[in-house]
Amino acid sequence: MRVLLAAAVLAASFAAAPAHATGLATCDSGPQEKWQPQEKLQKILTERGWQIRRVKIDGGCYEVYAITEKGERVEAYFHPVTLAPVPTQRR
Amino acid sequence: MPATVRIWDPYLRVVHWLLAAAVLLAWATGEGWGLWHEWLGYAALAMTAARLPWGWLGPRHARFADFLHPPRHTLAYARSFLAATAPRYLGHNPLGGWMIVALLAAVAATSATGWLFTTETYWGIEWVEKLHKWCANVLLALATLHVAGVATACFRHRENLVAAMIHGRKRTPGLSDIA
Repeated sequence: MRVLLAAAVLAASFAAAPAHATGLATCDSGPQEKWQPQEKLQKILTERGWQIRRVKIDGGCYEVYAITEKGERVEAYFHPVTLAPVPTQRR
Repeated sequence: MPATVRIWDPYLRVVHWLLAAAVLLAWATGEGWGLWHEWLGYAALAMTAARLPWGWLGPRHARFADFLHPPRHTLAYARSFLAATAPRYLGHNPLGGWMIVALLAAVAATSATGWLFTTETYWGIEWVEKLHKWCANVLLALATLHVAGVATACFRHRENLVAAMIHGRKRTPGLSDIA
């Protein structure tokens, strides 16, 4: 019976596993109405030679999946108000 | 007659626990631990690849032919399992046997889609990420069912199957058991 209980607890803990907010970076970016549009960031990066794959929002930052002008795959973070790059923890 | 018999060989036991650890840690590192997560995914795939040849070359209870039963037989076992009259198997029981195949396939699919996401062509592509997460959720559901099945068998047959997967030995079969 104790084993069954342990299995149930294990299953419940998986079900309760939190989603999103990766903790790689956080931006103190305030309300979304004051953010610069994603399109502007995409335009800047594309002009730099990046191939943009996807832009998401994570931890209040714009999270960009892209291939850089050097052909490197990157997951880069930008502040949505200033559009400045935000350093991430590589782990 | 000795009180216990050797069922699980050392290779199988090591691969089992390394695979379990890789899957659990990969799950835990899925959000925000990209480098760790990638290497754990490769480790899980490697352990799956390591298990496959053992299914033909390994000792008796490690072989697929020992524990993969035809559907009719498996269904009959499932009915007796639900009715709590299922016999004790020394190796994998028919449901457990198919669970091994399902788990190995799910690990392979999860690792493959995860790897795909890291390639230049599919980097950042949404459907690849969705497919990978879906595979991972299926894998976790199967793993939970696996643990629940093991727990139920432990309880029904009054034996510690987790310990058996550590030291490899199980109680000597009785008259009604299936060796």
